[in-house]
Amino acid sequence: MSSISELYDVTWEEMRDKLRKWREENYRNSEQIVDVGEELINEHASKLGDDIWIIYEQVMIAALDCSRDDLAWSCLQELKRQFPDSHRVKRLAGMRLEALERYEDANKLYDSILQDDPTNTAARKRKISILRAQGKSSEAIRELNEYLEQFVGDQEAWHELSELYINEHDYAKAAFCLEELMMTNPHNHLYCEQYAEVKYTQGGLENLELARKYFAQALKLNNRNMRALFGLYMSASHIAASPKVSAKVKKDNVKYAAWATSQISRAYQMAGRGKKENKCSVKAVEEMLESMQITMS
Amino acid sequence: MGEVELSCLAYAKMYLHASQFPRCSVNGLLLSSSSAGGALCITDCVPLLHSHLSLAPITQLALTQVDVWCAQTQQRIVGYYQANACVSDSSPTPCALKIAEKIFEQCNNAVLLMIDGEKMFPGCRVPPIVMYERKDARWALKDKHTIMLRQWEETCSIVNQLFSSGDQALLVDFDSHLDDITKDWTNQKLNAKIMELVSPANGNV
Repeated sequence: MSSISELYDVTWEEMRDKLRKWREENYRNSEQIVDVGEELINEHASKLGDDIWIIYEQVMIAALDCSRDDLAWSCLQELKRQFPDSHRVKRLAGMRLEALERYEDANKLYDSILQDDPTNTAARKRKISILRAQGKSSEAIRELNEYLEQFVGDQEAWHELSELYINEHDYAKAAFCLEELMMTNPHNHLYCEQYAEVKYTQGGLENLELARKYFAQALKLNNRNMRALFGLYMSASHIAASPKVSAKVKKDNVKYAAWATSQISRAYQMAGRGKKENKCSVKAVEEMLESMQITMS
Repeated sequence: MGEVELSCLAYAKMYLHASQFPRCSVNGLLLSSSSAGGALCITDCVPLLHSHLSLAPITQLALTQVDVWCAQTQQRIVGYYQANACVSDSSPTPCALKIAEKIFEQCNNAVLLMIDGEKMFPGCRVPPIVMYERKDARWALKDKHTIMLRQWEETCSIVNQLFSSGDQALLVDFDSHLDDITKDWTNQKLNAKIMELVSPANGNV
């Protein structure tokens, strides 16, 4: 089997830089990381300098994701040798136990970290992940809430909590988490759009109007967000169809829906250009928009 | 109750969908191109979502679009499948029951199919699926003997071939389509590849 560098004609420096990019942007493309990282470690370790340690960590986690315990174990050994008393390495050992579903042993490890250092957020979050893996959603939610009381600024935790609430169909609380995220990340169109989806799901005229506003906001931040575009169309259409709204509100929402329709059609036409296989989707969307208009009006 | 036949095409795409997103819950719709009456033949499937399965807007959108496409292609929506993120738990979620209920309103022998993640490993002798049907106003486990997967061994080998050729990456679900609308959620290309692998001697698999 040919190597990555042969297959893709890349140098070891390019491979190292790619790993850094994936690390910095928090991608979870574990199979790729394992392929590139394993080769880098095996063939070019001496050239990596101090970067090697963080690469060992990155590759180890990716290896766990791909059930490559052999690779994970060897990375862990290198890290243990270099950093014998490190909490950070201990956490990695814990993650390996988690991957092997040895949750009790993993918890013991994390508890020992927390005994030494009660402010260690990584260990706390791993314990919550274990609860999630075991399907203990209510406990995970409780622990995560406690965690967030102390560490109010942890974006990752807020997002994790919103996901947990969505899975439990507790949309009001999910909305609250997303509100926190929108406040601290006002330019993130994804949070706006997710918030709008939650509001839409909650239903009722007020929530639909909020949904429409936040779909619109998401579009302002990123005019290519198709979910937001469809969401705007659907919420405006529902509002326009409601018997409880004034004539003016109905008129306005019919306009918003019409605008969304034209944007959607345009987007699909551009996408479908020259691609035979897309005609199916384009036609389906056109007919769908038509059929939705009939049911909404 | 009635017999259900699951085609290689439908099974392969469901399996690929669950494999493409191992950390997420995924879902999709089961389709039939044969007319109503007699045994239920699931001839195809449309992979839908891999995130926020329980949120309404995208689910509604997807259902409407698939409905329209089915009308255009003489197919019917006859069921729903889901694979839970938590591998050890293959029980239907409230969201799964809700959508299955909606499908049942239009199709009185609709099925709900849960993918059993624990049985998804190479060399597993049994299909990793659990099927439910509507009985006495609830969804009950279907008798395994009424579920038919023709040429099970061949189907497994076809799935393996898709993985080794890298063609499993061709699968597009509705979520991915929304991320990039040039991607085709009807999976015409992948369908063609799978049908090529289905040996002609077996007729309509």
